[in-house]
Amino acid sequence: MSAGGLAVHRQKMTLQTTSSDEDLLRRMTAGDEDAFAELYRRRQSGVYRFALQMSGSPAIAEDVTQEAFIVLIRIAERYDPARGSLAAYLYGIARNHVLRRLEQDRAFVPLADTTDDGATVPSMIVEGDPLGDLTRGERIQSLRDAILALPAHYREVVVLCELHEMSYIEAANVIGCAVGTVRSRLHRARALLVEKLRAARDRDSNSKEVKPARCFA
Amino acid sequence: MNCHDFEAAAGELAAGRLMDAAQRESAFAHTTSCSRCAARLSDERALTAGLRLVANTSVEEAPARIEATVLAAFRQNAIVPEIGHLKTTRARWIYAAASAAAIALIAALIALFASRTSESQQPELRKAINPSPTVPDAPRQAAPPQQTSPASPESVAASKPKRSTDRARNLSRSRPQPNRANRATFDAEIATDYIPLMNRELFAQMDGGQVMRVELPRSALMSFGLPMDMERASERIKADVVVGNDGLARAIRFVR
Repeated sequence: MSAGGLAVHRQKMTLQTTSSDEDLLRRMTAGDEDAFAELYRRRQSGVYRFALQMSGSPAIAEDVTQEAFIVLIRIAERYDPARGSLAAYLYGIARNHVLRRLEQDRAFVPLADTTDDGATVPSMIVEGDPLGDLTRGERIQSLRDAILALPAHYREVVVLCELHEMSYIEAANVIGCAVGTVRSRLHRARALLVEKLRAARDRDSNSKEVKPARCFA
Repeated sequence: MNCHDFEAAAGELAAGRLMDAAQRESAFAHTTSCSRCAARLSDERALTAGLRLVANTSVEEAPARIEATVLAAFRQNAIVPEIGHLKTTRARWIYAAASAAAIALIAALIALFASRTSESQQPELRKAINPSPTVPDAPRQAAPPQQTSPASPESVAASKPKRSTDRARNLSRSRPQPNRANRATFDAEIATDYIPLMNRELFAQMDGGQVMRVELPRSALMSFGLPMDMERASERIKADVVVGNDGLARAIRFVR
């Protein structure tokens, strides 16, 4: 590697390791594509997962992720660091787009993601201990389904505070509501999830009960 | 702590969120005596564990094509602001130039209006300060009588120029006064001094007369030694002629 190339490489390494989101955003607004690419790679996963957990649709999650960063490109100057982190700003943009999409798609019957031969695509790849992972996978999927079945205003606080481990304040910044509202919604959402999981567990236990049968042998 | 209070704190207790230490101890103590709340805490802990499992297994990322799309959008957007910046800069220069031109035009109009006003208010004074070199002093000493009103010889004699520095004042006083309707027209005119057409003795004998506005060929200017633009020789020029009651022309001035 030449001296110039080494310098560029070191600069990029420094960019990746030390630049804050705000620094990257500032450089991005000045036209630095590398800074934007770094910011995207740093934050796309969270935004995509948030949209996926909110919608349950990879297609919507992709669209929302794309829209969130395109909006950031266009209105980056509106970001105010005093009002919250850049991540929260991005989540807020993604939230608005997710809710809009969910509102638009409410009238449509969702289709399951299927392969060409009609088999359902597993949402999570399970490797290793097949039996234990199957149980765990079922448990995770049932919880994901329960989260998706929550009303949107409860679902978003669960996704933000429980799955993305945001504080109440950060979640309130994303949603645009009071911290107390986040706390009360989360409390209610957890209670609903507990009820759903308890009901599912009761169904499972009833189905696993051994029923006596007469043997004609 | 009762069951209602425990219900409110169960979620945060199971999630391990920050809470008051005394409240936490009280909640745990309540579960030892309330099987229902103990079951609720167990469910909350199971939920917390399940949510953490979901969070830890959620490693999805956006497809690579999304990155390509947003990077393309960034490049496109980076070009647009540059063009917009150029447009803005150009527009600012245009606005600045237009503003400067407008200011200069307004200033010129104001200056022109001021000069016109000054000329119309004191044309004779300006002439007195900058007399035409082609017009001899002697003829300018003559003064016409009052317009449309017979003037006595004394008044005519009194209006004779005294060849002094107050010539402008004399000329101004001897100038025929237009009526109010024609004042604007007269104010806009520039005229030479009256040039006598006869000697002083005959001028002094004039017992009255009037001023008549006539049009003459421009070549008449040369007859009185005034400069003339040869390219405009075919045009006509206005003149005021002082005519005595005897019908003889006493003096003339040229008007522009």
